[in-house]
Amino acid sequence: MATRKFQMMDVNLTTGESGITDISDLFDEFLGGTGVATKLLSEMPPGMDSYSAEAPVIFAIGPFDTIFPVATKTVALFKSPLTGNLGESHAGGRLAMAMYGAGIHVLRIRGRAPTLSYLVIDEETAVVKRANSLKGMSALATERMLRDREDSEFKRSIIRIGPAGERLSPIGEVTVDAARHFGRLGLGGVLGSKNLKAIMISGGKYWKIDNKGQFNIFYKKLYDSVVNSPLMKKYHELGTSVNVIPLSKINGMPTRNFSQGSFEGAREISGERFAEKHLNQQIACAHCQVGCIHVASLRERFSAEDQHYKTFKVSYDHELIYAWGSNLSIGSTEEILRLLLIVEKQGWDAISMGTTLAWTVDAYAHGFIGDKETVGLIPAFGDAKTFEKMLGRIISGHNEFYRSLEKGSVFCARIYGGKEYSIAFGGNEAAGYSTGLWGFLGYATGVRHSHLDAAGYSIDQGNISNPQSDEILTRNLYNESVWRMILNSLVICLFARNVYTKEIILEGLDVLGISGWTEDRLIKTSRHIHALKYKFKEDCGFKFEDQELPGRLLRTVTSSGMLSSERFRTEIDRYKSFIADDRRSLGI
Amino acid sequence: MSKLLRVLQREQCIGCLSCMLACSRSWFAALTVEKAALRIRNYAGVEGAFSIRACYGCLEPDCARACPTGALSNRSGGGVILDVKKCDNCGDCVKACVPKALQWDVEARQPIPCRHCGICTGFCPNAVIGMTDSDAGTNGPDMIKPARKDQ
Repeated sequence: MATRKFQMMDVNLTTGESGITDISDLFDEFLGGTGVATKLLSEMPPGMDSYSAEAPVIFAIGPFDTIFPVATKTVALFKSPLTGNLGESHAGGRLAMAMYGAGIHVLRIRGRAPTLSYLVIDEETAVVKRANSLKGMSALATERMLRDREDSEFKRSIIRIGPAGERLSPIGEVTVDAARHFGRLGLGGVLGSKNLKAIMISGGKYWKIDNKGQFNIFYKKLYDSVVNSPLMKKYHELGTSVNVIPLSKINGMPTRNFSQGSFEGAREISGERFAEKHLNQQIACAHCQVGCIHVASLRERFSAEDQHYKTFKVSYDHELIYAWGSNLSIGSTEEILRLLLIVEKQGWDAISMGTTLAWTVDAYAHGFIGDKETVGLIPAFGDAKTFEKMLGRIISGHNEFYRSLEKGSVFCARIYGGKEYSIAFGGNEAAGYSTGLWGFLGYATGVRHSHLDAAGYSIDQGNISNPQSDEILTRNLYNESVWRMILNSLVICLFARNVYTKEIILEGLDVLGISGWTEDRLIKTSRHIHALKYKFKEDCGFKFEDQELPGRLLRTVTSSGMLSSERFRTEIDRYKSFIADDRRSLGI
Repeated sequence: MSKLLRVLQREQCIGCLSCMLACSRSWFAALTVEKAALRIRNYAGVEGAFSIRACYGCLEPDCARACPTGALSNRSGGGVILDVKKCDNCGDCVKACVPKALQWDVEARQPIPCRHCGICTGFCPNAVIGMTDSDAGTNGPDMIKPARKDQ
C-alpha cells in the first residue's frame, strides 16, 4: 500500500520566498491538524508579540480531510492578540480541500509583506502579490474581486480579512469562501499585521485508493451514518438555531448581557422563525453532505417612500442569534440580519463584537462610561438602531472609546471599568450558553476558551436529568477536551463527533494505510497534544488562578440555578491539577 | 433502454461536491474532485443556487464534432465515448461544449466523458441528480422532463 506523504509549505511574506518540507514524521507522531500545528507553534518563543513578523500562522489539515465525509475543517494556530496566549480557530468551506489539492497538509506563514498583499498558492508555487487597491475592502467584496482576478484550473478556496483585520482588531476574523470563518481569537488581526489581505489556494493533487473494496465498504458505512441516520439530522434541518427555544425554556439562553437565561422574544428569533421568514437555502463545506450553513435573505425597500427593492444574504446560527439577538435583547430577525451583514463585511468575530456591545449597555447604565465616550448615543438593550450607529463609529474610528470597542470587552473593561459586565473567560468573550457551572468552566479552562473545547453546556444539561458529583463532571469535561484533540487532529467537523467514534477513526486510518494506530496510542497522543497546548499557554502567561466568574454571573439564574465563585474556584483548581498531572507524567 | 444522468432539482444542491468525489473515486480510484465527469460550480458570496454541469447526453454532440482525430464518438443513447489512444490532447472538445458540461482532466490532458453510470446519483444527499431513461433525454437542457424526487 502507498505510503502517505504529508508536506508543509513555508511562506515568508517579508522576502516572498517559499519552500516545501516533508513532515510525514510529524503526522506519524501527532496524527495531523491541531496536533501537528500545536507542535510547530510550541517551537516558537512564547514571548513573541502576536503582531510581530516572526509570529507564525499555521494552517493545518488532517489525514481524513477531503477523503471522508464531514472531514472538512482546517485548523489555524497562532499567538492570539486577544488573549496573549494560544490562538486556535477552526473553519470549514473549501480550504481543507484546496490545501489537500495543492499537496500541502500544513501552510506556515511568517514575516510581513512590505505592503498590503495577497498570496496565491497553486500547488508548490506561492506568489505574494501587491494589493493596495484592496485596502479597506469588505471581506465579501474581496472574494468577488479575487475570483475575477485570479484563475485556476482547479477548485479554489479564498480566505480573506475585512477592514477590521486591517485595523489590527484583536477580534478580527478571517472569512473562508462562503460564510465560513476562522472566527475566534483574532486571526484576522494577525493576518492584518502581516499585511496579508487574502490567500487563494488551489491544486489538482490527490491520493489514490489502492484497496477499493475495503475503501468503498468503509465509505458507504460513513456516508449512511451522515446522510441516512439520525446522528446529524439536527444540523441539516433547522441547524444549531433549533436550540434557541429549548435553551430559553431552561434558562440557558443568555439574555441582556447574561443577566438572565430566558428571552421573552425567543420564539420570534428562533430557528423555526428564521427558517419560516428568511432561510434561503442550506449550503455545505466541501465533502459534507449535511449542509449546515443556513443562509438567510432579507428583502427590503431602499427606503420607506421608495418602491426600489434590494435583497441581501447572510448566514446565521445559534451563536449569532445569541450574540446579536437575545443578549442584546433584539427580538427582530430583520434587525439581527442587518447587523450581521455589517459584521460580515467588516470581518469581526461576531460573538466577541456582540458581547462587547452588550457590555457597553451595562457599562453605560452603571456609569462606567457616559456621553463623553459615546458622544450622543445611549446604548440600550433592544435598540438595534443605536447599535448600528455604534458599529458605524467603530468603523470610522470616531474616538478613542469607539476604537477600543473593537479590541473586545476585556480590554474595554480594563480601560473604563465594569469588569463584572464583561462576560469573557480567559480573555475571550463567551459563547451562547448559560446552562450552568460546567459550561462556564469549559470556557475558562478550554485550550481556546471556546464552547467547542469540551461542550460543558452539554455536561450541564446532562447533569440536570442525571446529577453527578462535581468531581465526576469536571473529570468528564477534561476527558472530552482531551478526546477532541484527536477529532481536531483529523480535523473533522465537531458536528460529526458522534459519527467518528474511536473504532471508526481506527478503521479509517487503516483503510488509508496509515498504520500503527491503536486506541491506546490515540489516547496517549491526545494527552500529549493537550499538555503541549497548556504548556504553551502557561509559558505565555496563562494562569488557572486568574480565571474567575464575571461578577454578573453570580447574580444570574442559569439552567442549573445560581452559581458560586467558591465552587467555580474549586473546580478550576481540580482541572488545573489534571493538567499538572498530565504534564508531569508526560515530562512536558 | 440505456439511462442518462440528469439534473433533476438543481435548486436542492447544497454544493457538497459529494457527486464529484464519488465519480473520481469510482472511475479513477482518485480521492479528489478534479477527475469528475461533472462539475458543481459556485459563485462568489453566499452562493445562491449552484450550477451543475453534467453531460447532457446530446444525440448530436458538439464535442465529438469538434474532435479533430475522431477520439470522441457518439455513445448509444446519448453523449460520447473516448478512445484515449486517438486523443491528441488539443482540448477542442471541451471548448465546443457550450454549457461546459464536458470536463477536462488536467493531469491526463484529456476530456472526461460522462459514462452515465449513475454512481454520482447514489451519493447525492438531496436527489439533485438522477438517472432517467434515455428517451426522456433531448438534445437540449431546456426540454428535459421534470422528474420526481423518488425516481
